[in-house]
Amino acid sequence: MTNPEVPKELREEAKGHDMYLHPIAKDTYELFFGPQHMATENFSIILKMDGNRVEKAIVNPGFLHRGFEKLAEQRPYFTNIALLLRICVPESDVPENIYSMAVDEIVGWEVPERAVWIRTTVLEMARLSAWMFWIMGFGNEIGLYTAGQWAAAYRERFMRLFEELTGGRVYHIYTVPGGVRRDIPGDRWLRQLRDTVEYIKSKMKDFDEILFDNYITFERTEGVGVMDRRFALKHAVTGPNLRATGVPYDVRKDDPYYLYPELDFEVPVLKEGDSLARVLVRRYEMEQDLYILEQLLDMGPPSGPYMVQDARLKALPRFKPPKGDAYAHVESTKGDFGAYVVSNGTHKPYRVHVRGPSQSHGVTVLEELLKGARLADVPVILKTLDNCPPDIDR
Amino acid sequence: MDMNENKTNEKVEETRLPDTKEGKLVKALIGKAPYAEGSVRRERRVEFHVPAERIHDFLELASETFEMLMQISVVDWLKEGEFEVVYQLWSVSEGVHAFVRTRIPREDAKLPTVMDIWPVAETYEREAHEFFGIIFKGNPRLGPFLLEPREYEKHPLRKDFNMLSYVKAIYGDDFDRYDESKTNYVI
Repeated sequence: MTNPEVPKELREEAKGHDMYLHPIAKDTYELFFGPQHMATENFSIILKMDGNRVEKAIVNPGFLHRGFEKLAEQRPYFTNIALLLRICVPESDVPENIYSMAVDEIVGWEVPERAVWIRTTVLEMARLSAWMFWIMGFGNEIGLYTAGQWAAAYRERFMRLFEELTGGRVYHIYTVPGGVRRDIPGDRWLRQLRDTVEYIKSKMKDFDEILFDNYITFERTEGVGVMDRRFALKHAVTGPNLRATGVPYDVRKDDPYYLYPELDFEVPVLKEGDSLARVLVRRYEMEQDLYILEQLLDMGPPSGPYMVQDARLKALPRFKPPKGDAYAHVESTKGDFGAYVVSNGTHKPYRVHVRGPSQSHGVTVLEELLKGARLADVPVILKTLDNCPPDIDR
Repeated sequence: MDMNENKTNEKVEETRLPDTKEGKLVKALIGKAPYAEGSVRRERRVEFHVPAERIHDFLELASETFEMLMQISVVDWLKEGEFEVVYQLWSVSEGVHAFVRTRIPREDAKLPTVMDIWPVAETYEREAHEFFGIIFKGNPRLGPFLLEPREYEKHPLRKDFNMLSYVKAIYGDDFDRYDESKTNYVI
């Protein structure tokens, strides 16, 4: 196959230099993107490339499939917490909470006030530390490594707070059906949390200067990976990605749980639907989360028990909820995270099905948005969608 | 919980629906689709039971109010010999979650695809097909998805899939998966 664009008289000279006879821009080829690539995180995409443009993308997940839903059917209700939280690595409190909320609803437990306060605080702390994790990934993808390194250091502050509260740094195994596993260590911990919130608040200006108000960020993200409102709804896009297309849907406002109806916060919405809008929505949400944590600390934890008072809890491994099913969902940094739990009256759940936001963001939406994108934009689209492969695979 | 309730009397149905936004929503949808049964579970949770042959028609009607398909959950009721397929819908405009339930026999597990209504259903259906063996007619991408090709058609989330023997057959020689007394094989 010769390239017709090479003039006849030059063909003889071009012999031996295949790249002139077969310029790569005229050929389509297959490119395996991941799972070794940093941006993809245990997940791979098979790209059909035409030069530098993606012609077609086929998502190839499954590298992280550990069969959690099957394993959860073999274990008692409370043991499952240590298993299901691994479905979301940067924000492991979310699977704990949705599972616990669903079991609470099946049993009919009213979670005590103190436990509700702790759960709300833990969820917001998890959101902030997940934002830091996201800045780390996104900053690295567009070459602004300094922001990523700062964010990793700030995340460490939350990890230390989590360690003191729960005993675990990444996986906390803290929220259980009926309440939480341990009480707050003391006032010192609350003071440390307030210090951390204030510290990160003071550092937001630095993040603006180096990342969010940076020419490089604008150049790399503006007009990349655009989706509109209708497309987003049909593809079940949720979270910041949906709010970047102009739909003000936030589970904390529209299906309120825990203390959120009493808290004052805004849902930032942008209309452009491109990568830049998704980045900026996340930036505004970080501010709201800091504000929510401040309000929670001003409120202070209510006194009382941190676990529901029930005689059945004395024999945890044989704890049996009544027959029934429930669907619970919370707003995570990635989107709407839900769990459907079915109980048949035995001491193990009959079925646990987790709805991760990346099931839509990371498969159908990604395949559509990558069509026609430049190769260099693939990591940008992946990171601005905040794709998290463990919740596709489970 | 009224999962096993089979009251088809329309008058009973109507009196049971409360005069809330959820009740009105169910009433409006049941009015358009008389073959379905609807009820209100609690605030912001409604439930519909639809026969499998009308599921596509019903979901097409429901998609006007419920804009998003959040998930397709499958429950394997082994004793009844049936799969329960639950379409989890969310209405952004109303703020209501709907369970749309249908039951299909385990031996002949077939349903029409809803990809034409919600393109995202492609992924959910691929997952349900791989783990349970349900065939969604019209979905072109059914096949190995999350699992390895050698695990395809084993349908591991079915209740009659023997996990222990499968793990033993695949990994038995490579990994020591016995408990401390070396008598019981564990996962």
